[in-house]
Formats: sequence, structure tokens, C-alpha cells
Amino acid sequence: MNRRDLLKLCGLTGLNLAAPIGLRAETREPEPHEGPFYLVFNASGGWDTTYLMDPKGTDGINRLYQEGDIQTAGNLRYAPIKKHMEKGMSNEDFFGKYGSELLVFNGLDYSVNNHSPCSRYTATGKLDSTTYPTFAALVAACQGPDCPLAFLTFGNYSATGNLVPMARIPYLPTLKKIAQADSPGGNHRYHDDFVLDRIERTLKEQLDTRLAKTQLPRTARAQSTLYAAQLNSRVLKRALPHIGNPPRGRLPQQAEIALSSFKAGICVSANLSIGQFDSHGNNDRDQMKLIPEFLAGIDYAVNRAEQLGIRDQLVVIIQSEMGRTPTYNKGNGKDHWSIGSIMFLGHRIKGNRLLGETDDGQFALPFDPKILKPNQDKGIRIRPEHIHEALRQHAGIDQHEFSQRFPLKVPTAEQLEGFWG
Amino acid sequence: MRARYGLYAWYVLWGLSASAVDFESEVWTKVASRSCLKCHKAGGDAEDTRFVLLDPAVSKATDWLQQNQATLSRIAKLRKNSQPLMLLKVTDEEDHEGGEVLAKTSSGFRILERFVREGATNLADRNDDSFFAGVTMIDDRRLLRRVTLSLAGRLPTDSEHRQGLIPTMDALMQEDAFYERLLEGFNDIFLMQGVDGAAERILGYRNFGNTRLWYQKVKFEEIADKKERQQAKYALARRYRKSVLHEPYALIEHIVRNDRPFTEIITADYLMVSPYTAKGYGIFEELKDQFKDPEDHMEFIPAKLKQLSLRTGKPDQITPTGYYPHSGLLTTFHYLQRYPTTDTNRNRQRARKYFEHFLGIDVMELAPRVTDAAAVDAKYDVPTMEAADCVVCHKSIDPIAGLFQDYQNPNNDFGPYGPRKEGWFKDMFGPGTRPDELPETDLWRALQWLGQRTAKDPRFAVAMVEHVYYILTGRKPLQPPKDIDDPLFPNRQRAYRAQRKEIERIAKEFAAANFNLKAAFKSWVQSRFYRADGLALQELGPERAIELDDLGLVRLLSPEQLHRKIRAIFGLEWTLVTGQDYYRILYGGIDSKAVTERILEPSGAMGAIQRIMANEVACKTVPADFAKEPGQRRLFPNIEPDALPAEEAKVRDAIVHLHSLILGREDQATDPEVERTFQLFAGIIEDANRQGRFDPRENYFCRAGKEEIRSQDPNYTMRAWRAVVTYLLRQPEFLYE
Repeated sequence: MNRRDLLKLCGLTGLNLAAPIGLRAETREPEPHEGPFYLVFNASGGWDTTYLMDPKGTDGINRLYQEGDIQTAGNLRYAPIKKHMEKGMSNEDFFGKYGSELLVFNGLDYSVNNHSPCSRYTATGKLDSTTYPTFAALVAACQGPDCPLAFLTFGNYSATGNLVPMARIPYLPTLKKIAQADSPGGNHRYHDDFVLDRIERTLKEQLDTRLAKTQLPRTARAQSTLYAAQLNSRVLKRALPHIGNPPRGRLPQQAEIALSSFKAGICVSANLSIGQFDSHGNNDRDQMKLIPEFLAGIDYAVNRAEQLGIRDQLVVIIQSEMGRTPTYNKGNGKDHWSIGSIMFLGHRIKGNRLLGETDDGQFALPFDPKILKPNQDKGIRIRPEHIHEALRQHAGIDQHEFSQRFPLKVPTAEQLEGFWG
Repeated sequence: MRARYGLYAWYVLWGLSASAVDFESEVWTKVASRSCLKCHKAGGDAEDTRFVLLDPAVSKATDWLQQNQATLSRIAKLRKNSQPLMLLKVTDEEDHEGGEVLAKTSSGFRILERFVREGATNLADRNDDSFFAGVTMIDDRRLLRRVTLSLAGRLPTDSEHRQGLIPTMDALMQEDAFYERLLEGFNDIFLMQGVDGAAERILGYRNFGNTRLWYQKVKFEEIADKKERQQAKYALARRYRKSVLHEPYALIEHIVRNDRPFTEIITADYLMVSPYTAKGYGIFEELKDQFKDPEDHMEFIPAKLKQLSLRTGKPDQITPTGYYPHSGLLTTFHYLQRYPTTDTNRNRQRARKYFEHFLGIDVMELAPRVTDAAAVDAKYDVPTMEAADCVVCHKSIDPIAGLFQDYQNPNNDFGPYGPRKEGWFKDMFGPGTRPDELPETDLWRALQWLGQRTAKDPRFAVAMVEHVYYILTGRKPLQPPKDIDDPLFPNRQRAYRAQRKEIERIAKEFAAANFNLKAAFKSWVQSRFYRADGLALQELGPERAIELDDLGLVRLLSPEQLHRKIRAIFGLEWTLVTGQDYYRILYGGIDSKAVTERILEPSGAMGAIQRIMANEVACKTVPADFAKEPGQRRLFPNIEPDALPAEEAKVRDAIVHLHSLILGREDQATDPEVERTFQLFAGIIEDANRQGRFDPRENYFCRAGKEEIRSQDPNYTMRAWRAVVTYLLRQPEFLYE
């Protein structure tokens, strides 16, 4: 396969090609990505939505509060948890601080209730395929293919559809080291600049020559991907001014790496995750520990984005792969429930809005995607593909070739209209 | 004229094709497996009808496809009022409990129309030798290098080049390095290195609470210095933990090294113990004479545990043999602890892993969508036994889960063993392997019963051959394409079929070789799927490109492979991506716990690591190599460090040697790639001279702390060679297999 063929096939046939910058005969550094930046927070294991944004307090659904205890923040309702938690951020503080910016959707139907398919479905919008990319990977591929850390992941389902390499930076100081690949510690240089320049140009020349020949697609793809990875890695140095000391806490550490990378213009999206929400035993104890930790992590990220001056470009998606049953099991736990919720805040998202609803038994009410209200007769079950179609539209990538390669096939009549306000 | 017009209309009506439809790629793949199988199979809603298909995910019949073709062909002949009953049913024009499953405008319906009218051929039965048309294969010399580097982390010797591939592999598969690689590969699959908590806790408190912490009783009183004594204790604990974690992989090594049937990974009536783990189990005294070195924590021998006792000494398990019913990995505490259970999970995770690891089936891959799963949960008392949507999967999963019932202890520290006091759950399908139920008399050895049946299941051999493919290529075999409306579906299907046929062929060879895993490695290495290396075509159209999309090894080296390759070629231990977990994970590696999948395509972060590696390795090795006598040098045996580009022949020969050593290329001095490298070397010196002034000494900070002094480099040639090596180390030939 030669270079012309490869480019053509990438477009026409859905051949997977990561970071196609390598095909562009470029040796100069890519421009920084200036936003939007996407942070996807995953409460891995399945959060209890009735202790968060879809409170019930009836029929024994919650043991820690009654219906009358439910709190509100503007149009949003939330469960009171402050007196049941030890550390982290309470619902009271979170909704009080961010309610005016939050878009909440209750009654999301995951269709199944096992971790593996639910995680895949929630992350990609596609239940019956293992090849679809997560939204975070898709938007990174569409908006920042030249970014060296276009799609960062810290766990949870992270398939890329082979559209963009996934990057893992497990610890902030490692980012500092790799940002100085040619100049360790910033004090020494392995090669003089003119030598490095020669090496880069020779590698480029070699790539061009090879791609001009007919090769196995896999070989051609590896050559271009490798070249792009090395070339684009040069701009990691832009992160150096923004790398501080690692904060404490699981989510803040992940968020700090992501936000430093956003600020440096080297990253488009990040998949953040903390686990252990799968509270089959002692549901209330576990959820009261994890929900505040989760909310505190989101709060850290938003605050830090503010400090870095990128908050207005931040899109925050807050999700979990499933909900938990409306009843307690014998071990005081709650099992998997195929109905859940999702929340958003940030860039071009109108807050203080509660869309979707569950009934007293925690069943999803049919929802009219056009007037954005529950409707028993004309409503439909809102599933992850509806949310993902809306996300693609919000990001302006629904018509992008990569999105077309992984179609969600949501009929126009079912697409959410005005979802983002 | 009228007759000809009528014929034309008929062709239009029937999709311009009057030919028989291919059964596998069209009828089965696009229609029956998607629209019929969910209900029309054993355990499905329509299992009592006259139309029941075999589900390839659970059927042990190797001719399931042919049987299903016969079934569908029989049904296709049925008529109602002269109309094909099959077409009436799928559109719900004739009463169909499943309602309309295909719209008349759908691709699936059109395929079924053709099938009903014209019947089906089966392309899969035809030889498809043309699949590799235009594909060139790697030559023997490079293949040998690929194999020795991949499986033993070293370069082939001259005598091995003379011996050839198979004799070399036979010898290589006795080397310790092969087992390091093999076990690394199997850990990618089984992930047992990722058991949570301190490794000695794998030996549960309930049964080994008196012995598992034996190392804490070692006082090291012979060591006078307190700090030194403490360090010795730490070292002992580290060795013990390493030994415990290695134990199940020692079983794999024992089986393969001794040419035992690989079925023993699920049937072995023994486990492997080291002197250290034997102490943990409390059986060291009876075994100590069998160890060559009772102090070697990595020496493993086969052993049997007696039936389990509580810490008090009272029996916890009573077996007719008096021994623990070992059944390979299935009964190792490592496997059971890595995939623990809970009161609500009820061993279903273990059942899922059993299907994945030993039969090659991902039961969660395509979970069927439920119209309203929450309503189903609420409607039925026991949805997993009553709701058709749930029964479909649980009828296969739950019986396997039931076979793990003696290990229903959710408290990991207590150990996995512990049957429920109230007996196994009644609101689950009973233990067995569908359709057979576990005999009551075998309950005490349920996992042995499972292991022995699994070993006879043809899917076991296929799954193991797929594991070997993964170890060799770093990727899983292709999955069947799903989008039947994709215009390139036939090409994707052809690629899948070609690879699947090869897997099945190798699985037969593997089984015929008494399940000797080495046979599977040898078969794969000789396969065209492993040897495919290039194309002898001028153009590659979209259809053919899709068919060849996955062909060619082209595997990004894992952190561990990269480390071994650098050691093999340069004699240097470069440990950035293996010494610390952070960098291992950054470079796409795994921790076997939270990070369990390797990254197969390099991100910018990994690209930076490659730059660091290339810079460091070149900086550490080039001046050091030049500092040796020519006869001792690996990199530059035939050139001196001050040779200028004017000595072109010498320089080109040196480049040819580097290409061969580092990249595995066998270039002539006039090869364009050699020319490019020469131009790099010469251009750097030219640039240096153009600078007017440069330090006459080579820089040395990367070798700080070493005895070596800073080298003189008055002509900038040594730095140019360093750049050349850096350049070569950044190329796909080095960074990929």
C-alpha cells in the first residue's frame, strides 16, 4: 500500500490509522490544542443514584433518609448525605456549588446489568460491539490527532477504535521526565540541536520513502503511527511549566495530570476513574465513602481548571456504568440495576436542569426527546446511544469521518433536541 | 420478447442474482446467527419447536455449521399456502412468537429470500489458497532472528542459522528465557500476578493460618547488625511472595518443559510447590528431601495437598482419597483468589473466566439487549431462571458457577475454600456442563469433573491455540464481522475465515501432538500468518486492503521485550520501563490488577520514552564500544572512532553491520537504507564543521558514575555514530517485532 492509497483507504474503507500526522510530510511541531477539553469521570462499579441526583427515600429504597429529607438546589433534587459521611464533598456542597451549572439526566436505560457490557455501552454508546471507541477517544481523534496525549486514560473501559493511541500517565512526575526526553533534567543534552534536526529529517525521509511503496496495511500503519508518536512527543515539553507536586487523592492525581496536559495543549480528553462502587455488601457504608470522594475529585478538577484559566473550555461528563437496585439484599448491599443517571457541566452546557425521570420504583419513565419531558405515550427509553449522539453533536463531530465510521444509528425522531440548552 | 422481459423482471425481483447464496457468510452470519439463534436453540424460547439450531458458543459439535445448514435447508422447504413458511414467520405474517424479526426491506430478508429460492453453497468448504496471493513471506534468516528474540530474548547463533528453524526451536524451548517469556504471556491472559494484598494471603487463614506466615518466625539471630537483620527479613518476605505468585505459572512451566499434555492446566492432580510455599502449606518436612536446594525459593516440584483442615486441625474437607482434589489451575488458590466471589455474584465471575480462559468464549461480549431489564428484574422472582432474556446466558453460566460451589468464601483472607453451610443456591441452574448435570457422587471433586470434561472439549484446543497466537502476536484473533450492511463485509468475513481455518488447523495439530504446547508454537511460527511480511503488488484496492488489514506480525515490543532486546543486542540492562511500575504502565505494560491490557499503538508519551531509550542506549554504548579492542566490540568491530566519511567503504560496511545487528536487515552497502544512514553520518559531521567550533570531547553525562573517562572526539565522528545508533533505535524494525 502506498501513501496515496493509504490516505484514500483511511477515508473510504474505515481502515484504522492512528495519528495520521505521520503522513503529512511534517517535521514541525503541531499547534497546541486550545479546547474544548473533555473530562469523563467514571464511578466504576455502579453508583447508587438514589444517594446522589435521583433521591427517593420511599419504600425502603434508602435507609439513610426519608422522602421529606430530600434537598433541592434550583431545579435539581439530591439526597442529603452530609451527616453520613466522614470526608470528601457532600451532595449538599456539590449541588450548592455547581447546581446552577449542572445538567442531570435521570432514568437512563443501560438495557443490561452486568459490568462488562454496561461499561462498554456507557463509554461508547454501542452495546453490541467491542470495536467502538469511547466518546473520549473519539473526540480526541477528531479534534486533536496531533496531540501527543490526545486521549489520556486512568482506567475504566477505554477502547479507541484504533482511531487514536491511548496514553497512560500514571504519576505526575513521569510526565516531567518524558517531557525532557532529549534533555534529561533540563541540564544536559544528548545531542546538539543540529544533530537532532538531522535525525528527525532522516526519519521523515525514510517514512516518506516507505509509504510511497506498496506495503501491508498493518506495516504502513505502524510506520506512520510510530513516527507520529515520536514526532509529537516533542511538544510534551509544553507541559513542564504546569507540572506541580502531585496532589493527594485518587481523582485529584488523575485530574492534575489531565489538566496540566490540557493547559499545555497536548491533550483533548481524559478518562478518570475510581472504583469500588460495586456495593453488593453494605451499600450505604460504601456509597457514603465513595460518593463524597468522587464529588471532591470533580470539585478539585473544576477548581484547578479555574486556576489554570481553562475552565471555560472544560466539558465534564459524570457517569457510572449502572445504578443499584431499589431494594437491599441480605448483606445490606444493593445489586446491579439497569437504570441510572448521568450528569454534565461546563462549556456550552446550560445548567440547573433536570431532565428525565424515574418513578417511585426507580423505573425509567419514557422520555420525549423533542420536548425533553417524560411522556408515557410518546416517550422513548433513553439509552446510552441517545446520550452519545447528543455528545457527538455537542462536540461538533457527529458528521466527522471517524464518527461516521462508528455510526450510532439513532433515528432522527429519537435524537435529543436542545439537550444542552 | 415477452419471455425475455419476464426473465429480466424476475432477476430484478430477486436482486439481480439467481445464484445460490453462500451459507456461512450470508445465511448464517448475516441472518440466522443474529435473528434466529437467540430463541431457536437449546435453552432458548423456541427450543421446543421443530426448528432448533446449534449454538457455536456452547456446542461441542465440530460440524455445527453443517448441521445448522441442514436444519435451515429443511425449514426452508416448508410451505404454507404455497408460500415459504420461513419468510412468513420472520415477517410475522404467519404467527411467530418472536414477532417480526426481519423487515421485508432489510438486507437479512433479501438473503433469506435467495436462500429459500436458490438454496445455499458453502464457500467455507472450498480451499481459499488465494488468500495470500501477492503477500511475501519473511526469509528464513530473519524469521529465525524474530523467533529467538521473541521467545528467548536473544539473537540466533551462527550454528542455529545452519540448523534451521525447528531444531533451533526445539532447543530454544528448553531455555529458561523461553519460560520467562511463556509465563509472562500467560500472565497477560490469567493475570494471577495481580492477586490483591500480600501474596502469602493467597494461602487462606482458614486452612493455612498456622503455617502461611512461617517467614515471620525466622529471626536471623546469626546477623548481629539490627538493620542488616531487618533487611534480611524483608528479603526473605520478598522471596516468599515472589515464590507464591509464581506457583501457578510453575505448573505451566512444568507441563510445557516436560512435554506433558497441556490439558493438565485444568486436570493436573497436583500443584507445584517451592521450598518456601511448601512451608506455607505446612508440607515442607515431608518434601524437603525432594528439593535439589531447599533454600531456592524458585525451585518447584509437583506435590499434593491433603484434604483441607481447619487451623484447629479438624477436617474442613472430607474426600474419599484423603487428598485435596487438585485440578490444575482451576483449584489453585491463586486462580480462585484472583477471581473472587461474593454472595450475590455466586461464582459467576469464575464461570465467565472459565469460559474465556479455557474455551475461548467471551460470554459478556455480546450481551443481548433487554427491552426493559429493570422491569424483568422486578417481574420475576428469579429472573435468571425464569426470564427468557436472562435464561439464555445463565443456563450456560450458572451450571459452571455451581461447580465452584466449594469455593464460595467471599472473605479473601480466609481463603477461597468454604462451601455454604446452607448448601448451594437453589435459585440457580444446577451444577454441570450443559446438558449434563454433575453427579452427586462427584460433588467433592466438582472441578476435577469439570477439568476432565473440558480437556475433551474441542474448544479447549482452539482456545489454547488462540492463547499461543496472542503470546506470539500480542493481539487476539479476529472476531467475525458484524455489520452486514457494510459493503466490505465479505472481505472482512474472508479475512476472519482464513484466520479461523488456520486456528482450527493448528488446533488439530496441537491435539494430535498430545496437546504438547510446543507443537502449537512451532505450527504458528511456520504459519503464513506469522511469516507474512510484505506485498508484491503495485496497487492495493480497498477490498483487498481490508482482507489483509490484520496480516503481518508488526507488534510493538512490550516493555519487557524491549528490555530483553536491548540486552541481547547491546549487552546493556536498560530498565526504565521494567524497573518501575509507573514507566512500565506508561509504556503500555500492565500491573495485572487495574491495568490489564497492553497498549498496542504508541502514544506521544510512549514516543517520548522511545526517544529517551534511543538517546540513552546510544550514549551509554557507542563510546563504550569504541573504547574496547576491535575484536571485543559488538557495534563497531571494523572501524575506528575517528574514521571520516571520506573513508566511505569502511563507513558503509560499519553501517551494514549496525543494520544487521540492530534492525535485523541484511543490506548491501549500496542499499538505499544504507545510503540514508550514511548521509546522516556524513551530514552531521558536515554540520558540525559548519558550526565552526565544537567541543573536541564527546559528552559523557549519561555515563556519570562509571569509570570511563570522557572520550576525545576531535572530528565529531563518535557523536555522529551516536546519532546513527539513536536513529536506528527509533525505527520500526527495532521497536516492533
